[in-house]
Amino acid sequence: MWISILGLLLGISLGLLTDIQIPAEYTSYLSIAVLASLDTLFGGIRAHLQQVYDDKVFVSGFFFNIALAAGLAFLGVHLGVDLYLAAIFAFGVRLFQNIAVIRRILLTKWSEKKKLGEAN
Amino acid sequence: MSKSIIFSLVFLVLGFIMAYSYSLSNQRETENDFAGAGFFEHKEQYRKELIEQQERNKELREELGDKQEAVQEFERSVVDGEENYTAYAREAEELRRFLGLVPVKGEGLTVTLRDGDYSIDHANPNEYIVHESHVFQVINELYISGAEAIAVNGQRIHGNSHIVCTGPVIAVDGIQHPAPFTIEAIGSPEVLSASMQLTGGVQDQLLNDDISVTLDPGQTIHMPALLSEMDTGGR
Repeated sequence: MWISILGLLLGISLGLLTDIQIPAEYTSYLSIAVLASLDTLFGGIRAHLQQVYDDKVFVSGFFFNIALAAGLAFLGVHLGVDLYLAAIFAFGVRLFQNIAVIRRILLTKWSEKKKLGEAN
Repeated sequence: MSKSIIFSLVFLVLGFIMAYSYSLSNQRETENDFAGAGFFEHKEQYRKELIEQQERNKELREELGDKQEAVQEFERSVVDGEENYTAYAREAEELRRFLGLVPVKGEGLTVTLRDGDYSIDHANPNEYIVHESHVFQVINELYISGAEAIAVNGQRIHGNSHIVCTGPVIAVDGIQHPAPFTIEAIGSPEVLSASMQLTGGVQDQLLNDDISVTLDPGQTIHMPALLSEMDTGGR
């Protein structure tokens, strides 16, 4: 747990300190990658709460989604189709769904706990 | 254990991507705050270049001033030096003036020669237009009576000047001048005009040839220098 937080901090500091300039047209890839990683992260949390969590699925999904989203955006730029919009849409919808599911699960747990407390 | 390593890797990537994206978008925002940041940059750059140039110009001007001062100092030292040198310098100055290498100004006489009016008596226009011989007469008379510098229509005459009649115009050193001819001479105005007006002198002869002559003494006359020493005939 601590190692993962350390990794997060290290990643953030690396990202803030990086002074690499990338062309403006590639920033959309980055935003999609951010969206994909967030989606996978919340998906992992939801899976964990639903007790269907699997390491392999989470990790592979994390990297694969990022790569896929970036690749799709890349393809879209070269085909002249705004494919990154599709990626943003898909990931956005899934993000909201995941968060909604997490919220419901948490709410159910909380109300159950409350009921349990009242029963006691 | 391997699980936490994998997680730390995942979070590392996540943190990196998010932070990088954040800093990148921040950067872009600050750039977009100035509409056309590049324009301002360019302006700044050009201004800097301009200032540099102006400073350089100023330096060079100062240098030029110093050099000129040095030259003047040198000349002054020559003038203030031995008597011989003073005499030589004055003589050189005078000779230069006579050669027409320096612009001169002074009082003098302006002689204007015009073609005579057309009249029925003269079938041949050659009988009343100004010829180069008339110009010669005037110039020679002026030189004889002590003119220090002479110009025809603003062009300096020097020792090797040649005046040629080419049809209706007169070429002075190859440059054509049409009538009327304004001959300016620097010298004593009284002496010059008196010599022009001698009985049976140049003015009478010119009037005899039906040429209108106007004398205008006492003007301050400015004359330009000859363009280069080459104009004086290679000396």
